[in-house]
Amino acid sequence: MKIAIGLINGMITAATPILLAALGGTLTFYAGIFNIAMEGMMLAGAFFAVIGSYFFNSWLMGILFAVLASLVMAVIFILFSVVLKTDEFVTGIGLNLFALGATTYFLRQIFKVKGAFSGPGIVSVPNIEIPLIKDIPLVGEILSGHNLIVYLTLIITIWVAYLVFKTRFGLRLRAAGYNPTCLDTSGVPADRVRIWSLIICGALCGLAGAYLSLGYVTLFSENMSAGRGWISLAAVILVNGNPWGIALISLLFGFSDGLGLFLQRVLPSQFTSMVPYVATLIALFVYSIRRKETVLS
Amino acid sequence: MRQKLINGLVGIFVAMLLGAGVMVMQGYQPIETYLALFNYSLGNWYSIATTLRNSVPLVLTGLSASVAFASGPVNLGQPGQLLMGALLATVGGLYLDLPPAMLLPILIFLALLGGALWSGVAALLRYWFNMSEFITTLMLNMIADFFTYWAISYWFFDKAAYSPMTPPINQNGWMPEWGDFNTSVIIMFIAVLVVWFIFTRSLAGYEWRISGQNNLFARLGGVEIDRNYMWVMLLTGALAGLAGGLVVLAGPHRFIKDIGANYAWDGVMIAMVANNGIVATLLYGLFFAILQTGALGMELITAVPSELIMVIQAVIVLVVVAGRGYLEILASKLAERRKMRERAI
Amino acid sequence: MNTIIEMQGIVKVFPPNVVALNDVSVDFREGEIHAIVGENGAGKSTLMKILYGMQPANSGRIRYRGQDAIFHDPGEAIANGIGMVHQEIILIPEYTVWQNVVLGVEPVGLFGRIDEKEARRRVQARIQEFNFNLAVDAEVGDISVAARQKVEILKLLYRDVSVLIMDEPTAVLTPQEIPQLFNELRRLRDNGHTILFISHRLDEVMELSDRITVLRRGRKIGTVDTADTSKEQLAQMMVGREVIFSPLRQEQQIGDVVADIQGITYIDAMKRERLKDISIRVRASEIVGVAGVEGNGQFELVNVLMGLLKPTSGEFFVCGERLTHASILDRRKKIAFVSQDRASMGACLSASIMENVLMTHHRLNKRFSKFGGLVLDYAQANRFTEEVRQKLDVQMDSRQAVFRSLSGGNQQKVILGRELSLGAPFILLDQPTRGLDVGSIEYVHQQILRMRAESYALLMLSSDLDELFRISDRIVVLHRGRIVADLITAETSITEVGYFMLEGKPNATKID
Repeated sequence: MKIAIGLINGMITAATPILLAALGGTLTFYAGIFNIAMEGMMLAGAFFAVIGSYFFNSWLMGILFAVLASLVMAVIFILFSVVLKTDEFVTGIGLNLFALGATTYFLRQIFKVKGAFSGPGIVSVPNIEIPLIKDIPLVGEILSGHNLIVYLTLIITIWVAYLVFKTRFGLRLRAAGYNPTCLDTSGVPADRVRIWSLIICGALCGLAGAYLSLGYVTLFSENMSAGRGWISLAAVILVNGNPWGIALISLLFGFSDGLGLFLQRVLPSQFTSMVPYVATLIALFVYSIRRKETVLS
Repeated sequence: MRQKLINGLVGIFVAMLLGAGVMVMQGYQPIETYLALFNYSLGNWYSIATTLRNSVPLVLTGLSASVAFASGPVNLGQPGQLLMGALLATVGGLYLDLPPAMLLPILIFLALLGGALWSGVAALLRYWFNMSEFITTLMLNMIADFFTYWAISYWFFDKAAYSPMTPPINQNGWMPEWGDFNTSVIIMFIAVLVVWFIFTRSLAGYEWRISGQNNLFARLGGVEIDRNYMWVMLLTGALAGLAGGLVVLAGPHRFIKDIGANYAWDGVMIAMVANNGIVATLLYGLFFAILQTGALGMELITAVPSELIMVIQAVIVLVVVAGRGYLEILASKLAERRKMRERAI
Repeated sequence: MNTIIEMQGIVKVFPPNVVALNDVSVDFREGEIHAIVGENGAGKSTLMKILYGMQPANSGRIRYRGQDAIFHDPGEAIANGIGMVHQEIILIPEYTVWQNVVLGVEPVGLFGRIDEKEARRRVQARIQEFNFNLAVDAEVGDISVAARQKVEILKLLYRDVSVLIMDEPTAVLTPQEIPQLFNELRRLRDNGHTILFISHRLDEVMELSDRITVLRRGRKIGTVDTADTSKEQLAQMMVGREVIFSPLRQEQQIGDVVADIQGITYIDAMKRERLKDISIRVRASEIVGVAGVEGNGQFELVNVLMGLLKPTSGEFFVCGERLTHASILDRRKKIAFVSQDRASMGACLSASIMENVLMTHHRLNKRFSKFGGLVLDYAQANRFTEEVRQKLDVQMDSRQAVFRSLSGGNQQKVILGRELSLGAPFILLDQPTRGLDVGSIEYVHQQILRMRAESYALLMLSSDLDELFRISDRIVVLHRGRIVADLITAETSITEVGYFMLEGKPNATKID
């Protein structure tokens, strides 16, 4: 029983950053942008979350810094791909490299360390105990006591689903992806919608980064996003952008992550660390088999 | 041609200017720092030899990415392919005992094979299940990273070592040195020449180039897309594998943990600034080697952290790429204006 | 009547070297149907796109309702009451009719939520007001082309535009659908709307418009009242010389069957039957035309013949060789192919002219490779490019210039040169003159007829009935993936083919 609860909680914890970044990614996906900069945005967020939290002794400032840093990345992306019409793929890779280089440099420059920085000065984002629910056996252990950002993520998932499918912004957002010329001639510049989708994506990736360095653990280490941005991109592609599908896929990845930890009892850690990446490959495989059944040739 | 050159030089200049800005903000001397950097990487024969040796993995992974991107496949798996090539070459060097004239070619072949096997996995996943190599190669990078880490921690672990690494390979398998110069550089230049010939002069290269630009047109023209895809993946994987093999054979002569970490995205980065051109890849690969080699000297002499180079490299990529797009817009604007003037006459 | 729009001295240049509009001045009156006519490439669409804010002019001024007005994007034009329906319909097929109509001016409730009920109600009200036959909840991807065109018009009327620009609206319609459109346009004019109508079909222009402006090669030739002019006069203004409608085809003995398409059926991934039991025989020295409203199986037919799609059943032979499941390379030994889309199928725009000419030849013709087919022989490739250039009189800077730098007509010449010199007995032409100017169209037709005279077998798909009637020996009509008619050109009429295209059967009662 304990193991099961541990696995479920591990699943939720590991799923959160992937889900947050993927929700951001799905907005740009609907807007027709090939956005692969989530990895870099998340990394920048994670680093600046530590900066904000450490220097102001406040997790709120940490989150604020994370979101701002990630927004700066989004603005650069906008400048390059929307304004200068640079290739999106190249821009994304360039930004990811930039985030990796800049965080590594500043880590060295500001904290005078190589590899990782942790310290008592970093204030982490608190966990929330939900009154009443926390006292229910089992259910309480699963539903209560998670990090604040976990609950935020739940709300954001609902919000993104509402935004995409029910609102004016959503109608225009999807139109920008389906046929930008049509949106332009309807009197709404498609570029403006794209810019907004990138800004929201930036904010969400920043939050994902803050969760990595102030929630998941309380430290920053070089390249700590460790491919999560890419996994979130895979999640978006797998379910064609549907926010609920993304939530499900993220939980599956979270589960594989938890499973990896669990398997450490029998396997060397190098193999258990591979699990999420192997899981991504398996998910892509299942997706391709399913698609084969519906699409010939 | 001239446009490309201007674009590249402007990109490098702007990036270094931005780097200088960062240095000034933090109280360093930019000119002194850059002088230290170039002095350390180009100041004497020994420095040049070191820079050249360091350029081998950069140029080869860059070549791998360039050929792949220009032909269509989005092979982002150079880091993983490099590791697998390095591992296979190391294992060969540990267990084979042959004279150098036989062992060296075999180890180089093993390096090529290791990379090709790993990119072959991605290629087959695409061929059989239509899984996009863009994500599979990335995931395979991670898997290769952990797999080689495991291999050197358990399977081929050097019992005398304190951190994960293999024992040194057979001395007959070390790339010979001529004075300060390591012969791995020669292998690199041969590889560049061979790839250049295949890509620009052969029938297959013609098909790859056209498929990379317009896949449907090539397909309708009778080009066998699937078969070409396989060959490109195998060749580019082999190039990355060769990079890994040469790093081991020329350098530490054993597989040490994180041996490929420094080159993780460098190949892709170089291919991007070079716009997938073969000659440009060679030139940018050499230049990035100068920066990376000099970074150590910069840190030793002026206390500017060597990580600054990572920032400068990324800025070069962004500025060069954006500049390319902007120059094209500018050229078309100029043509429009010229035509307007002609009309007026 | 008041002048509503004045365009003065409009100049538009497309780099590197096309002057699309050269000092064009024209004015439009409120409440008229004003036709803008000219041959393909005369600058009609460009002029209207400039008015609509889709493209900036290089110089010139526009006055709208007495004031200077340059619109920077279509949104601005629409807000000021000018709307445009494009030749290629720009809607979102995944959205419903009402979603397409309200996009950009959606009624919203709390938290930006779209008020669907209100939106539907408003769209429905407009549909009734203008008496359009449309269902608000239908998905646009599922409705006919004529209905989509109505959605486009409705979308503009919903935004209260008073000036409606229609770019070749009849090009996508069958002859039977045109009267209905014209009635709707007349009704709109009578309500006070101004309609600018781009066309190159003189019959339509004479029937519908009040005034006509003629453009030729980017210059305005004149504006005339429809009542004071004749088709012949317009034709002369358009072309600049006396037009002789010469019979292009010469009688010729038809040979043996070359291409034999036998009962091809294609069912797509969504289990929809796209092609049903298609059988066509094309003989040597024969041009068979395929007519049909776009989207009735032309795309699938071409892709099945070229090997991009696998037929569900049926057989395909060329010269007795079974090609039903052959590789594309094997097909190309027997089939020359000119596609409708030069940019994506017919050429590689970013490669050099020489590299484009070389395609397919590099595999089929031993002279282009050395060392057992491993290395390209560039000297031979250059010589061959030169041959093509001379034979087809291609205007190019150099063999190494990028293909994109050629004009549309020259691009098509290079493609024709490549394909026709393959020597394949069967030639498949998919809209070979789409997007070309009149001179180039003429040239392409001559080349096609030359191949017919040299005993090749040709199958030509076209949405232009005039073209089909000018050069094909037989016309088969595709309707919903079936062949509904196989007619000898000399024994049929455009009206009859039109009925088959629309109804799938002859003698249908006229719809209105």
